[in-house]
Amino acid sequence: MIRLNQLVATYTTVRGTVKAVDGVDLEIPSGNIVGIAGESGCGKTTLLKVIYGDLVYPLALDSGGVDYVFADDDRQEVTTETIQQYWFKRISYIPQSSMSSLNPVVKIRKQFVDFLEPKANKEETLDRVRQFIRQLDLPAEALDSYPHQLSGGMRQRMMVALATFFQPDIILADEPTTALDVVVQKGILLLLVRLQRQMQNTVLFVSHDMGVHYQISHRMLIMYAAKAVEFGESAEVFSAPLHPYTRMLIDSLPNIGDDHMRQGVSGRPPSLWDDLRGCRFAARCPLATQRCRDEEPAFIEHRPNHFAACHYAGDELPKVEPSA
Amino acid sequence: MKLLQYLGSRFVAYIAVLFIGVTITFFLPRLMPSDPIEGYIAQMQNQAGQTITPEAMDELRVQLRRLYGLEGSLVEQYINYINKVVLQFDFGPSLYSYPRPVAEFIWTALPWTLGLLGVSIVISWIIGNFIGLLAGFFHNSRFATTLEVVGVVIYPIPYYILALLLILQFAYIWQWFPLSTTIRPGPLTWEKVNAIIYNSFLPAMTLIIAGFGWNILSMKALAFATKEEPYVVFARLKGVKPRRIMTRYVFRNATLPQITALALSIGTIFNGALLTEILFSYPGLGLLMRTAIGSGDFNLMYGTIIVSIVSVATAAFFIDLIYPLIDPRIRLR
Repeated sequence: MIRLNQLVATYTTVRGTVKAVDGVDLEIPSGNIVGIAGESGCGKTTLLKVIYGDLVYPLALDSGGVDYVFADDDRQEVTTETIQQYWFKRISYIPQSSMSSLNPVVKIRKQFVDFLEPKANKEETLDRVRQFIRQLDLPAEALDSYPHQLSGGMRQRMMVALATFFQPDIILADEPTTALDVVVQKGILLLLVRLQRQMQNTVLFVSHDMGVHYQISHRMLIMYAAKAVEFGESAEVFSAPLHPYTRMLIDSLPNIGDDHMRQGVSGRPPSLWDDLRGCRFAARCPLATQRCRDEEPAFIEHRPNHFAACHYAGDELPKVEPSA
Repeated sequence: MKLLQYLGSRFVAYIAVLFIGVTITFFLPRLMPSDPIEGYIAQMQNQAGQTITPEAMDELRVQLRRLYGLEGSLVEQYINYINKVVLQFDFGPSLYSYPRPVAEFIWTALPWTLGLLGVSIVISWIIGNFIGLLAGFFHNSRFATTLEVVGVVIYPIPYYILALLLILQFAYIWQWFPLSTTIRPGPLTWEKVNAIIYNSFLPAMTLIIAGFGWNILSMKALAFATKEEPYVVFARLKGVKPRRIMTRYVFRNATLPQITALALSIGTIFNGALLTEILFSYPGLGLLMRTAIGSGDFNLMYGTIIVSIVSVATAAFFIDLIYPLIDPRIRLR
């Protein structure tokens, strides 16, 4: 379980500080794949960085915090300040640009163990790694190669192997398949799902692609303009969304056999520099009233385990005539 | 396969550079409007007055042409020249110290220049890149900024001014090192090695100081850029220790363009050595070249120029050979 307590994270810029994550407060249960979706700049990646404890300038934790409850270590308190010692042992990371995340001039074998303690038995670890990567449809020799000798898909499998080998409790994946073609992408996703089922770790999976989320996520977190707007079981979020933004995201997905023009979400998110008042989605929301513009909706549990921040959660959207 | 291809193409380029260089040195003087033999004869006539008969003059002309390798048509001369220079390493006799062959002078001078240049290039490359790496990797620390300032201050100073300043300070005011190089010929004893080091120290230092400023600046820029590469960021997120990130991730990648730059700069360094040797009367190839030009010794000039072309091209070729050792993308496919 990961508990996010009123998390506020800021970036320092020449214009001042900007809140990229603004008061996210929720509890992520263990053993789930949690999909995080939202437009660019809504704070998905920042949220992952904070959870990972990668708080380097210009990113800083303004207030709130993260409680990590590791399955077999209840006594020790872990915070974003001390999580670093568990990097790749209990919490691991599959980066956004994973295609270029391997050092081109060093053999992969060395990159697999160079963060271990000097006294660790690296040869023995590597033997286990060789067996492990075979399960991931990677040849054992791939470990003795340089990155440029592997294809994009193999490199990405290697990143997944690296992130899962030490059986971490938490895996953060930041658009791990964006750079790959659809067929390879599917292979990687299935691999990730299979490994998660075996190891029962918590996977936080960021993607723009609602289709991908529908296929692999157990739970969905929808973010909008630095806030969490909806969080719940995937099945329910997709079948009965509470927040109008979620509904509009889902409505923008095409269905097979339906040749209607899809309705996108018109407009753009507000600038985080502005003085934001009321609901941040109000300007684009077909349901918005004066109340939405004045009063910020709280992030509350509308149905069991299904949270949303909307005054009119669950209301039907007005019918829009598809543009000709 | 890829490695062989790479080495093959480098070797072809090496041979081509040598061939073009040798060809240009052959044609360039011959395109000049003045004829060295007529010039020589005119000079002799001035000195000797009208005592030479026209027959003797013609005889002299033929003799001189043979001596200079100026017989026959341009093509014949060229083939003859290539044959002598490339295959036999024979540049003919020195005109000034006739009849000692030019090759003899070159063989005596070459080790001096190669030794001085080799040592100072390697030292300045290592020091410059080490400081640059620290300055680029720890770009927030004051120590690194200070080091960078050193590079920025030294780099734009013209070499001869820097060298003269050092001579003034270390050889004239403090007298720690000799003003000019004096080493007695003789067998290589421990004493002689000491004398060589003592005499070469200041010239080497000027070359090192002049060279490492540039290395600091370019390595700093490279290390700073490499630090932002996804594989370096990922290494940090894996929890790799900063020191190892610096060596295994940043240095290993940032050093590749630096090695190319070294190959490219060898020519310039050679020019610098010419000045160094003149300033310190250092008995190397540069001083020999100056003597040749000063005394109008054409053969010696040819010899030194060709040897410098060969040295620069060979050094660049060796660096090309080293490259696959540090970049596996060239070695393997």
